[in-house]
Amino acid sequence: MAELTPEQLETLPDEMRIFTIQKAIESSGPRLGRLSLAGRKVLETPNYLGNASRGVIPHLSPDNFRRHTNVSGVYLSLEDFIEKIPRDVPPIYNQDAAPNESALKRFICLPEDNIAVLGARRYTPVVGSAHNTDTSISICASVGFRSLPVQDYITATLKLCPDIAICLADVVYDHNPSRRRMEKVSDRTFSWVTKMIEQLNRPEVQESRPTLFAPIPPVPIGRQWAYIDKLSEELKDEISGLAIYDAEAIGNLPEPLTLLPRLSMSPLTSPNQLLQQIASGYDVFIVPFINLASDAGIALTFQFPPPATTSVDTRSSPVELGLNLWDKVYEADVSAVMEGCSCHCCTSHHRAFLQHLLNAREMLAWVLLQMHNHHVMDNFFARVRKSIADGTFEEDRLAFERYYVPDLPEQTGLGPRIRGYQFKSGEGDPKANPAPFTMLDAQREGLAESATPGDVPDSELIEHGFAEKTDKAS
Amino acid sequence: MAPNPMPSALTFELIAKCSVTKARASLLTLPHGPVQLPVFMPVGTQATLKGVTPEQLEGTGCRLCLNNTYHLGLKPGQAVLDAVGGAHKFQSWPHNILTDSGGFQMVSLLELAKVTEEGVRFLSPHDGSPMLLTPEHSISLQNSIGSDIMMQLDDVIATTSPDLARMEEAMHRSVRWLDRCIAAHKYPERQSLFCIIQGGLNLELRRECCREMVARDTPGIAIGGLSGGEEKDSYCRVVDTCTGLLPEMKPRYVMGVGYPEDLVVSVALGADMFDCVWPTRTARWGNAATSSGTLNLKHGNYANDFSPIEEGCTCISCRPKSAGGLGISRAYIYHLAGKETAGAHLLSIHNVHYLLALMRSAREAIIADRYPQFVKGFFGKLYPDRTMTPSWAVTALRRVGVDLLAD
Ligand SMILES: [Zn+2]
Ligand SMILES: [Zn+2]
Repeated sequence: MAELTPEQLETLPDEMRIFTIQKAIESSGPRLGRLSLAGRKVLETPNYLGNASRGVIPHLSPDNFRRHTNVSGVYLSLEDFIEKIPRDVPPIYNQDAAPNESALKRFICLPEDNIAVLGARRYTPVVGSAHNTDTSISICASVGFRSLPVQDYITATLKLCPDIAICLADVVYDHNPSRRRMEKVSDRTFSWVTKMIEQLNRPEVQESRPTLFAPIPPVPIGRQWAYIDKLSEELKDEISGLAIYDAEAIGNLPEPLTLLPRLSMSPLTSPNQLLQQIASGYDVFIVPFINLASDAGIALTFQFPPPATTSVDTRSSPVELGLNLWDKVYEADVSAVMEGCSCHCCTSHHRAFLQHLLNAREMLAWVLLQMHNHHVMDNFFARVRKSIADGTFEEDRLAFERYYVPDLPEQTGLGPRIRGYQFKSGEGDPKANPAPFTMLDAQREGLAESATPGDVPDSELIEHGFAEKTDKAS
Repeated sequence: MAPNPMPSALTFELIAKCSVTKARASLLTLPHGPVQLPVFMPVGTQATLKGVTPEQLEGTGCRLCLNNTYHLGLKPGQAVLDAVGGAHKFQSWPHNILTDSGGFQMVSLLELAKVTEEGVRFLSPHDGSPMLLTPEHSISLQNSIGSDIMMQLDDVIATTSPDLARMEEAMHRSVRWLDRCIAAHKYPERQSLFCIIQGGLNLELRRECCREMVARDTPGIAIGGLSGGEEKDSYCRVVDTCTGLLPEMKPRYVMGVGYPEDLVVSVALGADMFDCVWPTRTARWGNAATSSGTLNLKHGNYANDFSPIEEGCTCISCRPKSAGGLGISRAYIYHLAGKETAGAHLLSIHNVHYLLALMRSAREAIIADRYPQFVKGFFGKLYPDRTMTPSWAVTALRRVGVDLLAD
């Protein structure tokens, strides 16, 4: 195993070097890096970006985001800000901003030093039936499916000025593309990337242009070689990072591209998958299972590397990755959600309260779980970096795989209401997760607030000491 | 009649009285700290305020909030509350809590609830079998909750009920139930039990109830049975009549009120404490409380409005970044409203802050003895066209010496 030489690490032109690799073992192994943009928090990699929905980390108001998370960067999708185009200009385009201020950050109240990464589509996107064309992609806005012209996307990134913009890729989401379609993917993506570079290089936008990440669409590298080849030869000095849609692609990228930071855009459903991608050399992730776990009432509890296994319990069964707080066993449990955790949820609240909030379908459950689950991921990535630095990553990764159950615990209770832009329902499906509150008539809605007594079995009324059962007729 | 005054878990200090109206500024000291009156109390029905953390609630200046006994009795239930050590520990709220008795919610929410001398009888929503909630149950549960202020179980019927005999019966029964509540109350030295004046819109019944209940010498007094859709005129007459008969040195709480105008008028009529789910409930629908009225930020008009929810508001949502706030715009609330829960959280914080701040400035005005000017300023902003001022407010305020229509 030969470590990359300092000379090899120094081949990028200075102004494009937002990323430095501190330690890498071979070109395809795990690596340590620093993503640093002027005036922004430094992202030590491997690391993750908060996965925003409509500009917020779900359930976290911007004050809670600042005070109770350490998230240094967020992934945002343009489709979350588009409503009724082409009829109306999306309101965010009218947000004014000071020189060198990002209109996007101002609109969503993201701190200046937080890294805003903009893509076209949500992570993970809702897939419609419409196809991309030579000049547009299909998106899902809150008002339904729309098509987004490539030019509009470029104009939007210039207007909104995120720190990093991901060029559009011609991604085919719902089926495996044919050979001919793959060629088209390569051609279109090349043409869109070229177009964006060309416009971002115009002198009038040099002051406040976003840094560019080029996409690697999810088709075999060999099938998009025309594009990849140009990317690594002609365009390599114009881009500062890669957004890679297929986890396997990383091994086949040509040498000149290996020094760029790699953002994983492939589906990620478990910590094991995440660790495998870290092992193969990805640097930055958007971890969708953080939000999913919070919505499911699950507090992540895994740590990396796993706790040392003593000889006594080596044969015990794997440990769960999280705590399902819907479980009634936590009803009167006043211990912290995770022992020793320093997050706001664990230092201020206990399992019994979280159990109650979920059971009562109160929004605060998801707020507190988001704080905790993001904190767990912060620690996870910090320990991953340490493990890479110590040279024990592969060993630790395998120990993690052995120690924990591969999948997150199953969700047993209802999550928050899910909206159309988050989830595509089939024809005639009932609403995904009904509203957590049910209105009675108008006079009573204030009283009904959150609970409907009709849901309550009388055994609960008695058990909980609220009232007693009586034999007398009323 | 209770022969001895109850031990008290509160102190009440009168700071100032308006020289024109009946408004008072006072300091209520409860087991979990002092509360400046007049005060608005936000409602955390199920031990939480609609996605707002206790820390955020504290940030609005709130030092006394409500929990609903009926809801806490079901979830998490008395056993859990006992095991955890009460509602403060349960929700990690270091300040004061007031609980209702649960009876009002029971009668309002359940179709077939019936009141008998023993308590509220209702059919189980589950299998139709008969159930019973007594004053003793209610107090026992509130003792488990450990609220700083607890409410007696009362016989509530709609103020709009035409049945005078039933109204009178309810008033007398509420007095008898107060005695049972006092007898059942285990911790008078750390929880203050408030009586609830009943009597519908009949002023004679209200007067009689005041006399009976004042004689029981509870640490505080609530005026109940209002906010049920009665005429605002009648509401004001009841509040005015009751405050005229209540001892000066006890806090007066008007239950389930209300809107900003209601608060400002009721303070002038001599009331000190209010609660309402309105600010948080309305936030969920995208409504913002402002000094010029309620704005529905879900409306397309606000999609491109980049001003704060309310100019000059000092809540965390509105305060500009330069002053350590978030500087949230109406356009961003529009963008989030009904789609991401955080939009409702930001608006709830603003709305709760708005009502707390309204009462804080009312208090300052009373102390400076310029409450009449404050009231006129408040209504002037809400109704720039003076002729649009609601007549109930004009009438009620005239009775206490303030003429909204005069210059
Ligand atoms: Zn935690
Ligand atoms: Zn505000």
